[in-house]
Amino acid sequence: MKISIVIPAYNEAKNIGLVLDSLRREKFPIVVVDDGSKDKTFDIASKYVRTLRDLTVLRHKVNLGKGAALKTGCESAILSGAEGIIIMDSDGQHRVADLPKFIEVLNGGKYDIVFGSRDINMNMPLVRFIGNKVASALISFLFGIYISDLICGFRAFTKTAYRKLNLKSSNYGIETEMVAKVGKLRLKHCEIPVETVYYDKFKGVTILDALGILFDVFIWKIR
Amino acid sequence: MIIGLQLVAIVFALIMIYFAYLHYSRGELNGVEVLSWLIIWLSAIIIVVFPDLLRTFAQTFAISRLFDLMIVGGFIVVIPMIYISYVRTKRLEKKLEDYIRKETLKQTKK
Repeated sequence: MKISIVIPAYNEAKNIGLVLDSLRREKFPIVVVDDGSKDKTFDIASKYVRTLRDLTVLRHKVNLGKGAALKTGCESAILSGAEGIIIMDSDGQHRVADLPKFIEVLNGGKYDIVFGSRDINMNMPLVRFIGNKVASALISFLFGIYISDLICGFRAFTKTAYRKLNLKSSNYGIETEMVAKVGKLRLKHCEIPVETVYYDKFKGVTILDALGILFDVFIWKIR
Repeated sequence: MIIGLQLVAIVFALIMIYFAYLHYSRGELNGVEVLSWLIIWLSAIIIVVFPDLLRTFAQTFAISRLFDLMIVGGFIVVIPMIYISYVRTKRLEKKLEDYIRKETLKQTKK
């Protein structure tokens, strides 16, 4: 299976270079989508085009949100011939060492989608941990699917699964929408443990984002 | 005699008329829109100055106090306006997202 790695990035000038350096040994095509960053994320990522053979760097002219950047990256990868997609965050919190686990499951052909799940002992901030668990329970109740780490951005799926999911969210809700729709469409899925390091406690889903996502969860249930 | 609260409401309505005119001058509102807002705010001033005009209307709906009628009326006007504004914002966001993403995908190597 031809697999591509998609990395959405927003204001990650400090980390995007480290992430791309860590992927240097991987043979897969990489798509970085700069979501209208105000810093040098795009310029730094673009410099790697010379040294990383199969790197595509795209840029949203306006900041649209993580979901929009992910969708652009996935569609770009599919246009370039990808049959499987691995998504990972651009802040360096995910370990390249975990990639083979995703690749193995995707190539096995048994599952449509693979969710990375972070270990709760790995310094996850308490508020985020509680929110994550409450949301997992709610999704389980509404959609009949329990994913222990609902908002982990390290995931992999097939092109067919991506097409079926028909994702609509343009913000942080995309990860939750993915889980809800996998439950609704009864897609074959599994979870694998991944390592995570929290570099920035202020980035990611805020309480206001979470309230917006909660509202969307009920919309996805009705639709 | 006009009491303090009425005065505040009149000043507020006049400020809103000024804003409607300002946006009209900048070309952000057209003639029909600015006229509509002018009618709305002038009506509000008339009701604030002569609240008894609404008494017959309030009795028709079995509302004893004029203030209650204004509160109910206010909610009836404001809630649909918020809804319309929400739908329009969503629609604009969707159009912007579709456009930006389409333009970005043109850079993809096939």
